[in-house]
Amino acid sequence: MSGIVIAIVVLTILALVFGVLLGFAAEKFKVEGNPLTDQVEALLPQTQCGQCGYPGCRPYAEAIANGDKINKCPPGGTATMEKLADLMGVDPEPLNATEEVQVKKVAYIREEECIGCTKCIQACPVDAILGSGKLMHTVITDYCTGCDLCVAPCPVDCIDMLPVEQTTKTWDWQLNAIPVKQLQEDTLC
Amino acid sequence: MLTLLEQIDKGTLWRAHGGVHPPELKSLSNQTTIGQLPLAKHFVLPLTQVGDSALLAVEVNQRVLKGQSLTSGTSFAYCPVHAPTSGTITAIKPMPSNHASGIEVLSCIIEADGLDEAIKTDAHHAELSNQEILKIIQQAGIAGLGGAAFPTHIKLSPASEIELVIINGIECEPYITSDDRLMREHSDEILAGVAIIQRLISPKRIIIAIEDNKPEAIDAMQHALNSSTLANGTTRITAVPTKYPSGGEKQLIQILTGQEVPSGAIPAQLGMLVQNVATAYAINDAVANGQALTQRVVTVTGLNSQTPGNYWVQIGTPVKHILDTLGFNGNVANDKIIIGGPMMGHSLPDISAPVLKGTNCLLLPDSSEIADSVAEKPCIRCGECAVACPALLLPQQLFWHSKAEEYDKAASFNLHDCIECGCCSYVCPSDIPLVEYYRIAKSAIRTQNEEKKQADFAKLRFEARLKRLEDEKLAREAKAKEAAERRKGSMSSGDKNAVAEAMARIKAKKAAEAGTEPAPSNDIADKKAQIAAALARAKAKKAGAAAPTSEAAANKESAPADANDKKAQVAAAIARAKAKKDAAKAANTANTSGQSETDAVSANTAPAADDKKAKVAAAIARAKAKKDAAKAGNPATPDDAIAQSEADSATADKAQSADDKKAKVAAAVARAKAKKQAALTGNTAAPADVIAEADAVPAETVSAADDKKAKVAAAVARAKAKKLAEKAKQSIQDTDMAIEPETVSEPIETAISETRQETVSNIVNTKDSTDAENSADASVSLVEESASILTAEQQKKARIAATIAKAKAKKAQAKLQEKE
Repeated sequence: MSGIVIAIVVLTILALVFGVLLGFAAEKFKVEGNPLTDQVEALLPQTQCGQCGYPGCRPYAEAIANGDKINKCPPGGTATMEKLADLMGVDPEPLNATEEVQVKKVAYIREEECIGCTKCIQACPVDAILGSGKLMHTVITDYCTGCDLCVAPCPVDCIDMLPVEQTTKTWDWQLNAIPVKQLQEDTLC
Repeated sequence: MLTLLEQIDKGTLWRAHGGVHPPELKSLSNQTTIGQLPLAKHFVLPLTQVGDSALLAVEVNQRVLKGQSLTSGTSFAYCPVHAPTSGTITAIKPMPSNHASGIEVLSCIIEADGLDEAIKTDAHHAELSNQEILKIIQQAGIAGLGGAAFPTHIKLSPASEIELVIINGIECEPYITSDDRLMREHSDEILAGVAIIQRLISPKRIIIAIEDNKPEAIDAMQHALNSSTLANGTTRITAVPTKYPSGGEKQLIQILTGQEVPSGAIPAQLGMLVQNVATAYAINDAVANGQALTQRVVTVTGLNSQTPGNYWVQIGTPVKHILDTLGFNGNVANDKIIIGGPMMGHSLPDISAPVLKGTNCLLLPDSSEIADSVAEKPCIRCGECAVACPALLLPQQLFWHSKAEEYDKAASFNLHDCIECGCCSYVCPSDIPLVEYYRIAKSAIRTQNEEKKQADFAKLRFEARLKRLEDEKLAREAKAKEAAERRKGSMSSGDKNAVAEAMARIKAKKAAEAGTEPAPSNDIADKKAQIAAALARAKAKKAGAAAPTSEAAANKESAPADANDKKAQVAAAIARAKAKKDAAKAANTANTSGQSETDAVSANTAPAADDKKAKVAAAIARAKAKKDAAKAGNPATPDDAIAQSEADSATADKAQSADDKKAKVAAAVARAKAKKQAALTGNTAAPADVIAEADAVPAETVSAADDKKAKVAAAVARAKAKKLAEKAKQSIQDTDMAIEPETVSEPIETAISETRQETVSNIVNTKDSTDAENSADASVSLVEESASILTAEQQKKARIAATIAKAKAKKAQAKLQEKE
């Protein structure tokens, strides 16, 4: 009889001790926010383009961490999607965008047509457009993420999205790849 | 144990790992002296630094001289490009580059005029400071001529102490003999250049390392060294066993000192510096002769070359010109044209590309020298590549991960330490082009890193922008709040009241314009105002044309009053005028007019503009009271009326609250009527007046705005009660009695709760049978009590009821007058 009592008392004490320990640990080592969100965000291309339907990369990272689909990031391309699939432990899904969208582009303002309305400046998520009211604007190419967000607000349609040209420094050594040349319409045969 | 320097002095050599011994085939090109290539018709000078650290210094159609700089720049990394001959700039446009990709780069095209006119230069003297020498080297555009083309002036201004300078004359690549021939023919100039380097760096030792397959070069250099100014103890020439790739910077350091340059480090961190012999020659040319780097020795070799050998070639000379001048056996479409050696060189996609500072060889092999690319076979994990690798890497692992595009894993096997020497590809039994895989993997990793950097930067900028927007929003809000507060502070309560008054005035005016009939309006307050206005007008009409004197008096009085009170004053003036007229009629002129004057004064002094309605009503009431008193012909009544009107005006003044004004109007009207009745009946006016006054007191003390309706109702009830009492005394109320209970109970029924209705009907019922005064008092208290619990909605209805009641009272009054 006393054995049972001792066992119960000992187990109760143990349960209390571990309970306190766990409670303390839960408070002491509490992780703010979802650490998965940070990991997902690190994989996203940070173009802040909103093509995923979220207002920036961070909100999409949060959505993915909460179980959203991983194939909504055209700027990241298939590579990003596969990394996300790896991280989230889900099956890779085909990207919901065409290949054409995945070519890295930067905005270019045809400066003689710019009327200086500052609408594109307000639209740019990374402050990559330089200019002021009634003064010509220009894109700081190095800062441009190619998100497309400045094109729609332009009242005179003077913003083009140009593909980033390869230089000898960024060349990828794909010697066997068939070179693709962009033809101008007037030089088509 | 010997120190490193002692070992170097002894000529000790260490073994470097790996390496291969490919067939040399140097004899193809090293048999003849360095020739001079004829000038090309046009030159292509790539301006790679323009837009980065340099500015374009020339323009199209400008004539340039040999040695003239085409760019300008101030940054430390700036390395100018010079015109190789005199001529005219025909275009500045992207041209195919001397690069494996053949991508177009911005280039300056110079049409040579054949004069080869050089820019005027002054030969430099010995007494130059180190800084001046470095400046000269930079302005001469000297870059590493061994192949990497790294700006020499950067290398020659190291941050740390340099103990050992190695002059690289190894030239380990097969076929290439440009350094060999240069050392044989220009050993004195090279040593003069080495002397300049020694002066700049002041190293403890200088080693001129030459592979032992170039005995003539070693002899020539040794001979030159013996006769040079360089101290014999510090400078030595070391023959190095032939092995590819001992000419690599890190491999050479390993062989000469036994030290390994750590991964990701540069030799300067070990206190060492490696310079090519051709660079030393160019340094001397620049410092001693003031010549910019506009030409270099290029080995043109291979079995497809008709005249293999070494040639001084102007930098910027198109490869096509070399082929055309020296003869090319193959055809451009099928045969390979390789820039650099067979191990590390790249085939040229476009022969219009120019010779660059780093172009040391133009290899034109025929099909027997370089095999067609055979099909790649699977890796058999033989490990030959790992044995051959001079960088101590695991090429098969790197290949494995590179092929699988697992670049992060490839990077974990130190892919970035690969020098792309090609030893692994050379030894591979499966003919795998390993280096190609590594290059692709390297560029992919570089791109990834670049993207990561860009993404991080974009994120930073995005966050900075969000913060900026947030700050701006907060600032805007704070500003708006401040402005609102300022506005609120500047706008007093009086202003608000003024607005309300203006609204009320407008309404009153409208009603007045509409005529004597009250215009149908939804707002009960409107109705009240209209009624009051109508009353005033009706009185005015009744009074007829006012006496001009009294008009003038009234005007005079109204003049000092506030503009806002105009309406009130007008009404008051009218009322006063009437009062005066009536008083005159009654022959009590002096007394009553004086009194009305004081009344008017009290009305004017009423501080709150809100009270105007109340004042109007009071004036009306007073006027009526006086008129009635006068009509009755009772000499006592004027005094009573005066007393009453005084009390009324006091009431009006005291009641400051705008909400109470309606109640006061009603009360005053009721009281006046009651008095009139009393006067009409000819009974003693005093008791009635006393009652009226007594009634007025509780009405005043009930200050709360909510109670106004109750007061109205009370006043109405009182008035009726009094009237009925009077009528009962006169026993002429046969018809009235029939009307009154109905009319009173009816509106109240619609207006108030059922309990209240009961009490009122009870009151009405009891009123008839019991003592008039008692019932009146009881009903007043009851009505007041019950009215105080009325809700806002009920109050509205109560107001309607009160108006109706008043109208009835008026009717009854009219009837009484008729009877009279």
